[in-house]
Formats: sequence, structure tokens, C-alpha cells
Amino acid sequence: MIGPSRVAELDMPAAGVETAAARPAQSYWNQSWERLRANRLGMAAGVLILVLAVIAVLAPVFSAVLTHYQPQTINLDQTFARPGATHLLGSDELGRDSLTRLIWGARVSLGVAFLTVALALTVGTTVGMVAGYYGGWIDDVLMRLVDTVLAIPAIFLFILMSILFRPNAVTLAAIVASVGWGSVARLVRGEVLSVKQRDFILATRSIGARDSRLMVRHLLPNVLPVLIVAASLGVGQIILIEAALDFLGLGIQPPTPSWGNMLTNAQSYFFHSGFLVAFPGITIFVTVLASNIFGNGVRDAFDPRLKG
Amino acid sequence: MLVRYVARRFLASLVVVLGVTLITLILMDRTRGTYVPGIDLNPSLRPEDIEHLRENLGLDRPFYVWYLTWLGSVLHGDFGHSMIDGSPVLSHILDRLPNTLELTATAIVIGVLVAVPLGVIGALRRGSKTDHALTVTSVAGFAVPQFWMGLMLILIFSVTLEQHGLPWLPSSGAFSAFNGGDFLDRVEHLVLPATVLSFFYTSQWSRFIRSSMLEVLSQDYIRTARAKGMSERRVVYLHGLRNALIPLITLIGLELPGLVSGGLVVEVVFGWPGIGKLAFERALQYDYTTVMGVTFFATLLVIAGNLLADLLYGALDPRIRYG
Repeated sequence: MIGPSRVAELDMPAAGVETAAARPAQSYWNQSWERLRANRLGMAAGVLILVLAVIAVLAPVFSAVLTHYQPQTINLDQTFARPGATHLLGSDELGRDSLTRLIWGARVSLGVAFLTVALALTVGTTVGMVAGYYGGWIDDVLMRLVDTVLAIPAIFLFILMSILFRPNAVTLAAIVASVGWGSVARLVRGEVLSVKQRDFILATRSIGARDSRLMVRHLLPNVLPVLIVAASLGVGQIILIEAALDFLGLGIQPPTPSWGNMLTNAQSYFFHSGFLVAFPGITIFVTVLASNIFGNGVRDAFDPRLKG
Repeated sequence: MLVRYVARRFLASLVVVLGVTLITLILMDRTRGTYVPGIDLNPSLRPEDIEHLRENLGLDRPFYVWYLTWLGSVLHGDFGHSMIDGSPVLSHILDRLPNTLELTATAIVIGVLVAVPLGVIGALRRGSKTDHALTVTSVAGFAVPQFWMGLMLILIFSVTLEQHGLPWLPSSGAFSAFNGGDFLDRVEHLVLPATVLSFFYTSQWSRFIRSSMLEVLSQDYIRTARAKGMSERRVVYLHGLRNALIPLITLIGLELPGLVSGGLVVEVVFGWPGIGKLAFERALQYDYTTVMGVTFFATLLVIAGNLLADLLYGALDPRIRYG
């Protein structure tokens, strides 16, 4: 089977100087992208996340055109309205429209999640790269720090910091990222330890490249796949953490709607309005499910070794 | 060799415990300002009384002095007194700790008992409809917010069942306030929170067992066992499962911080009187000493769990040597 295809390749008219270019230019990134595109479930999940992101960005438009309510407008004549024509998904104890609040809540959940991932990756990559590259006592100190951060049951840190900072979306992201960077640092350090043994690093160093150039231009591209996988798998978990903090009253404060804080008072509506408990949870569930499926797809595409 | 390994791990753990408590204290210190816990409850206090209180609680001293004093008394087994109600922190924690251990241990046991058979079935019938269904369930299990699952279970099994006059499950606490506390009563209270807590871990661990089992079953020694005519059942359970379970122990050890965190949220939803709920309520009230005590204990639990997992791993897998 190898024979004919070789021949076909050699027979191509552009043979000669162009031989190398005539073979399909399949870089690692191209291959990964092709693999991801072939995963239909993964792509569908990715598209769903994209749609949710668009809804979040265009929340004012959607609430004006689709639901005709504002997220914080109180209407005491229509408290606990059942889902129906006036309120598609019902209304809460202050008569605020649930669907409108879910749409605006997407801004908080997705915004915080993406920001958290960005922060955790930046800090984690820097620490992991420095620790792995320099080794010795720097490595020891940084990794003990990581051990400490990861040994604290994260929720205690979140509670204390939330009391300290009274978080808005940005500080909330910083709070969650202050723990999340630890596992990224470990991951990156491991990759750097293996990559830096390779010959091309020795070669680069022997022609006099500085440490900073080595790290940014040569190590970073090699740990990038791991980072992409970690990022896409992390989004779902962070949405869950953020929702739990909001639920506990430690995250985004009312009246700003978030998927988590819409459930804070849920226990008091149990007896008459169970739908107020169901919808935010289903929204969180579907979003996290989509992020996880997309994340798994990205992992399989970018790091086939890990395929489960 | 083993003794030296444990000793070294113990020293490393000390560093972590010091780091954790120091971080906790710095955060608590930044939140306090000039606040004395509980002071707003008593409007008749004069300014000099307040100053006196602050001195008594050690709040007039800088945080590092406070920390060293605290460390000194902890070394003598004294965790101080709660800043809210004045009772010893240690007795608070020892009151609540058995409840947390009861809930966590139940969740872990249920998690393992459900996850292992599911994982084995998935591995043995790889690619079948059953396997796909298990995969879908476990991917979904990852995505359910624990606190919401708790709320929904309460809505269904406590509220709705009660409304329809059917037998219902209690939604709050570890035992009934009246005539409660016997074994059956505690089990009834345990059902819902333990279900929530074990659900997430079941979905995670069953996937893990599945891939670990697949890997083991592709090993040479499994082929050898089959080649010498051993029955499939013996191959799978005696050689396969036993080896596939070893990595699960490490995983459970590493998951302990997560179990404690998840436990806190579940404890709050179900009003479960454990240390998580204690820490949550007392942190909101700026009760330093109690929060420091709970953090200390929780960290200790996590570290002890990790160490135990490592040692068990070595005991189960003779290839592992501690150096």
C-alpha cells in the first residue's frame, strides 16, 4: 500500500524544488484542528458555548427584544408568576423576570469563568516555567508554595477572601484563580522538565540565547498544547465553583443577577414555586456539560496520548 | 527506610500546616480592622471596655505576635476560646468532627462501592451500549452543581413527598431534635447529603476504574494468566481488578481537599452540623480562633489522608519503594 501513494506523490507536476511544499502542509496545529472538527459532539458543544457567550455579550439586546423586561425591575404585582406567556420562565419573589435574569446572569458566569482561566493560566505558567527551568532552590520554594496552596481546602480560602474583598466579577475571578494557578504550575513544570532535556534547547543555549528568550520562544510553544487542554477543561469546573460561591452569598451580590445567587433564597420558595429552583440549576448544568464535552474534545484533539 | 520516609513527609507537612494557618490568619487579620467580634451585640459597652476586650482577645497586637502566641498554645493542645461564645474551640470542633467524618466516610464508601462495579462493567464491555450509557451518565455527573442537586433532592424527597402525604426524608440536620438520635434516625438524615456527596465521586471514580482496568487487562501478565488456562472470572477479579484498584487509592487521597470543600457546601445546604458548616458560619462572624482551629484540623485531615494513601499504595504495590 505504501508503494502506489509514493509514486503518486513523485508524479505530481510540481515535483522538484516544491516537493516539500507539495505534501499537505500538516502542522501540529492543523492536525489538531482537523481532529477537533471531526468530533461532531465536541464541535456542537463548542458552538453552544459560543452562542451562550454571544447571549451574554448582547444581554441588553436580548432582554429588550425577547423578554421585554429589565433584570432588576421589581414588580410586586407579579411575584412568583408561573412560567407562561407574560413571564416565559416565571418570576421571582420580587416579580423580576427569571429568563431576563438568567440571560444577564450568563455575563457573570461566563465572564468570571473566562477571566479566572486567563489569570490562573498566566500565573501558573509563569511560576511553573520558572520553577521547571531554573530548578534547584527556586524550584523547591515555588513547589512548596504550590503544595501549600493546593493543601488548603479551597473553599476556606474562598470564604475568607470573599469576606475580605466583597467581590465583584473581577475580584471574584482573582479569588478563584488564586487557588487555580497551583495545578497549572505543577502541570507546566512537569512539561518544562521534560522539554528542557531535549537537544534543541541545548542547541539554542549554545548559540547564546538568553533565558528569557529560551522560555518565551522555545519552551512556551511546547507547553502550549497542555495549556490549551487545561484551559478548556477548566472552564466548566470554574463555573461550578463560582455558582457555589454565589449561592453561599459570597460571590456576586444581589441585586446583580447570577446563576448561583438566584438560588440563594431558593429554599424559601420550595413549597409553591419549585420552578425557581429548577431553571438556574438546569442552565448551569447545560453550560458546564457543554464546556466539559468541548474540553474533552479539545483534549483528544490536541493531546491524543490522553485520550480516555 | 519507611520510618525515614514518614518522618520526612511529616516535616514537609509541618511546613504546609504552618503556611496554611499563616495565610488564614493574614486573611482574617486583614478583615478585622478595629472590629471586635460580638461587640455590636452589646450597646452598653464604654470605649475603655472595648479597649480592654481587644487586649483580652489579643487583638491589639500585630498579627505575627498573635500568630506566634496561637502557635505556642496549639503546641500545648490549647486552641483558645471562641471569640463569639467564649467556649473552647477544641470542644466545638470535637463536637462537629464526628458528624463530618460520618458524612465523608459514608460518601467515600458509597462512591467506591458504586464506582468499582460500574467501572469494571464499562471496561469489560468496552464500546457496548452499556459502556456508552455509563460514559454519558458520568460526563453528566461532572456537570451537576452539588448544591443544586441537594436543593432538588430536598424539593423532591422532602417537600413534594410530604405535600402528597407520602413518607419523606428529612432535609436538615444529622438527627431529629425530638426523640431522635438513634441509629435509624441518623441513617434517614444521612441519605440525602451522602447521596449528593457520593454522586460526583462515583462519576469520577467509575471512569477512572474503567481506564485503569483497561490498562491492566492489556498487560502481559494477564495474557499469561489466560494462556495458562485460568478462568476468565479469576483473571478479571484476581489479577485484573486487584491491580486496577491500586491507583484509585492515590486518587482518593488526592481528592481529599475536594471532599472537604464539597462537604462544606453540602453541609450548608443540608444544615449538617459538621466542621464545614461551623467554619462557614464562624468566618462570617469574624470568629478568628474558631476559624483558625477548623482550618488547622481540616488541613491536618487532608495531609494525613494523603500520607495514608501513599503508604497504602506502597503496601499494596511491592514495586513501590520509599527512598
